[in-house]
Amino acid sequence: MAGSGTAHLRPAGEVVLRVEDLFVEFPAGRGRSVHAVSGVSFDVARGETLGIVGESGCGKSTTARALMQLPPPRRGSVRLDGVELTALRGEALRATRRRLQMIFQDPVSALNPRRRVRDIVAEGPRIWGTGADRVDEMLAAVGLDPATAAARRPHEFSGGQCQRVSIARALVLDPEVVICDEPVSALDVSVQAQILTLLERLKERYRLTLVFIAHDLAVVRNVSDRILVMYLGKTCELASGDALVERPAHPYTRALLASVPRGGLGLPPADRLISGEPPSPVTPPSGCRFRTRCPEAGPECAAVEPVMRRIGEDHWVACHRPEVR
Amino acid sequence: MPRPPGRRDRPDRPDRPEHRGLLRRLGPAFWLAAGWLALVVAVAAAADLLPLPRYDETLAGPPRSGPSAEHPFGTDALGRDLLSRVAHGARVSLGVGVGAVLLGLAAGAPLGVLAGYRRRRTDAVIMGANDVALAFPAMVFALAVVAFAGASLVNVLAVLGVLSVPAWIRLVRGTTLVFAEREFVTAARALGARDRSVLWREIAPNVALPAASYAFVGMAVTIVAEGGLAFLGLSVQAPTPTWGGLINEGRPVMETAPHAVLLPSLVMFLTVLSANLVGDRLRALTDVRQSGLEPVRRRPAVPLPAPGQVHRIEEGALLQVAGLRTHLPTPRGTVRAVDGVSFTVRRGRTLAIVGESGSGKSMLIRSVLGLVPGPGALRGGRVYLDGRDLTGLSPERMRRVLGTRFGAVFQDPMTALNPVRRIGVQLAEPLRVHLGLGAKAARARGTELLASVGVPEPARVMRRYPHQLSGGMRQRVTIAMALSCGPDVLFADEPTTALDVTVQDQVLRLIRRQREERRMAVVLVSHDLAVVAEWADEVVVMYAGKVVERGPTAALFERTRMPYTEALLAAVPKLTDPAHHPLRLIAGRPPDLADPPAGCSFHPRCPYARERCAVEEPPLLPAETPGHLYACWYPRDTGARAPADTGSGTGTDSDGRGLDGPCGPGRPAAAGRPGDLSGPNDLSDLDEGADSRGR
Repeated sequence: MAGSGTAHLRPAGEVVLRVEDLFVEFPAGRGRSVHAVSGVSFDVARGETLGIVGESGCGKSTTARALMQLPPPRRGSVRLDGVELTALRGEALRATRRRLQMIFQDPVSALNPRRRVRDIVAEGPRIWGTGADRVDEMLAAVGLDPATAAARRPHEFSGGQCQRVSIARALVLDPEVVICDEPVSALDVSVQAQILTLLERLKERYRLTLVFIAHDLAVVRNVSDRILVMYLGKTCELASGDALVERPAHPYTRALLASVPRGGLGLPPADRLISGEPPSPVTPPSGCRFRTRCPEAGPECAAVEPVMRRIGEDHWVACHRPEVR
Repeated sequence: MPRPPGRRDRPDRPDRPEHRGLLRRLGPAFWLAAGWLALVVAVAAAADLLPLPRYDETLAGPPRSGPSAEHPFGTDALGRDLLSRVAHGARVSLGVGVGAVLLGLAAGAPLGVLAGYRRRRTDAVIMGANDVALAFPAMVFALAVVAFAGASLVNVLAVLGVLSVPAWIRLVRGTTLVFAEREFVTAARALGARDRSVLWREIAPNVALPAASYAFVGMAVTIVAEGGLAFLGLSVQAPTPTWGGLINEGRPVMETAPHAVLLPSLVMFLTVLSANLVGDRLRALTDVRQSGLEPVRRRPAVPLPAPGQVHRIEEGALLQVAGLRTHLPTPRGTVRAVDGVSFTVRRGRTLAIVGESGSGKSMLIRSVLGLVPGPGALRGGRVYLDGRDLTGLSPERMRRVLGTRFGAVFQDPMTALNPVRRIGVQLAEPLRVHLGLGAKAARARGTELLASVGVPEPARVMRRYPHQLSGGMRQRVTIAMALSCGPDVLFADEPTTALDVTVQDQVLRLIRRQREERRMAVVLVSHDLAVVAEWADEVVVMYAGKVVERGPTAALFERTRMPYTEALLAAVPKLTDPAHHPLRLIAGRPPDLADPPAGCSFHPRCPYARERCAVEEPPLLPAETPGHLYACWYPRDTGARAPADTGSGTGTDSDGRGLDGPCGPGRPAAAGRPGDLSGPNDLSDLDEGADSRGR
């Protein structure tokens, strides 16, 4: 696992967003680079929610930014409705912006402290000259009262309310795909439930396609149709939520599941735990990037990088030694 | 921790304190200083219109005469009216000050914004040139230019303006960098905004205030510089007066007419002081949000008048907290952050305190440790360690208890570690201070401690700095520090919230192992119910500064009584639930701790609330499991609660609890998925007031 490969991609006609062999690298000084995302591929069908789960440094947020072309990936393909975004520059790229929107993790940092809520939400319509009439509708749709909320500034709101403003801003242009980058991880449990519920409702109402990125497996499981597990810039496993939780094949997926506190969850006790912490993405391990922490690792894992292969109905894993049940 | 006043304010409340408080936040000194500047500017502008003698009219009065009714500032050696000269001199001094600032801003701000926003090569070129410019000895340059190009107003202004450009570039670039990193800039670009629009609409408003602040400081610097040049005779030439020139002219007659030097100096001094003060106060305004997380000062809190109640010391309790209250006076009223909390912990057990942001759980820990933020916090109740009351201890003796018998681990290990000192030094310090070990012994003990918390290669880590370690390793180090003096009670306040789930598991395992090996008691504060359910023996659920339910973990989670606990449990997504399983929503938002509702503080949000709940505050009542207490008049699963209004918009689903607990009678029958709610405003009443946690 922790490999690459594109066997799990569906035919281009069935998907709205298709990401193939995405690479993102950052300079790390002294001529070295951080291999943040290395050969990630996935696709999302219209109306579907794809969950991407992994720990910090697995490249999930970098992937989100690369999809938005902010900044564009180093190489790889991002196709939105068949249009290759990575080939676009300048005005042509800008013209695609309104179809792909993003919701951020930190609700406070995501809003300009000097602007009023109405101006924040109306920024998209101002740029594109359409949809200004939708501003109040969006504010109401996210559960804010346009009459009282619109004239206020972000610091007058709680974290959850700021996240609602963020959602309204992202949806006001009627995008096709919305990328949610850890949208609830900074929120309290009760607020998290409200925002998750709100996202589900808006998804139905506006027929959205979501890419939902989070580190919390239970949250991702709740909102996603399919889940992609990432580790250190690579893909590990892709499956429906049921298959992933009930029949995790990748040792890393199993370790993630085992680490979730199971108090009162009625899950079998943790059997497999991994030790240590992820290695540096500046000098990632050869072969499978998870092998340094993998309880199953063998000699082939250091030599050959595993690629995604099918092990069940819409269940894909990149591992030399998966546990297939 | 109570949230800062501005944040928890409801949007529908008209009197927002931060707006009302704007004048107060700037302070009277600001207004005095601004008034003085306005006066000086007005006088300078209207100097010709004022009923003053001409500034160059000799013998307007007797030479060298002191202040009088006719000549309030007196006269100089030639009998010219000094007030008139100071007023006209202000034109030059202020003109140069304002002009140089505008010139510096006009040249520096665009370059700074460009460098900060574009970064990479643009930044490297601009900042490289800027560094060269900064390396020039400014005053020598000014002297040289004025000496060669001639001492005129325009030359002085131009030179001082050009000299201020590098500082402007630095300031604007720095501020731009900070904001260009923020996600709202990414969001604007994601919306398709052009760079120009991003700079103008997103970044410029945020740079404006720091720039305005610096403009005043820069003006003060320029006025002083112009004064220096004029004093050397290198500014505007006589007979046009300038402040520096006036001081220079007064110098020869200082002994007979000291006012000729003192009064212009005083005016210049006050003007420079005022400009600095205005700049400084404006900078304070740039904090849009008051942090509310000021560093905790170790100052004894004022004891609250306690109801003269004697607490029974529970047998076998290592730590007993009885009726603990912490009230914080704020401009909005007294915030009851901790309001009558009692619990006990035995040796070898873990007690978890669970609640959402603003429930008072972190403040509770600080109150137990005697680390209540001052000034003016009121503390009541008792904390007993091994039956000994700690609340009466002197700060000196409390420090000793903190060092040796209590250990504490906090959420962000980086704030607990000093970034510029090696791990070894920081780990050895408590050992030397509290246990009196020598340097060598403390080092050896520190290495052992690191090994015991699972740090690989402890000897090497001892020589490292905190930033060289990963988050998990840092948290292990802070745990080692907390354990260093063999505490009896380990307080862990959200110890794993900042960590990844696999690392979280390792750290919680470590805490449990240490508890068993050292026979400690652990008090674990967490917002994460799953963590609490797995790792705690007993749980205290807090809401609005009070305990609403407490008891053995299994009983509390399986036979939950308090509707708030139940709602919280049902709000957490579970791995075992199918995809898109509706979560239960809690209506409303947490109460304002300065103005809590009457009766049960949860009643405005409780779907089962009845009249009694709004009137009478429920006491902690015993459930059938020994030690399980709940504060509710109509608890779940006992039959006391009749089915309440189920259509109250809570979005409760038929299977909302998700836990294996028995279904009690009267479970609400409404099964509507939240997604089935119709109309755009369905969620508007499901408003919340909670903040980002852990920030």
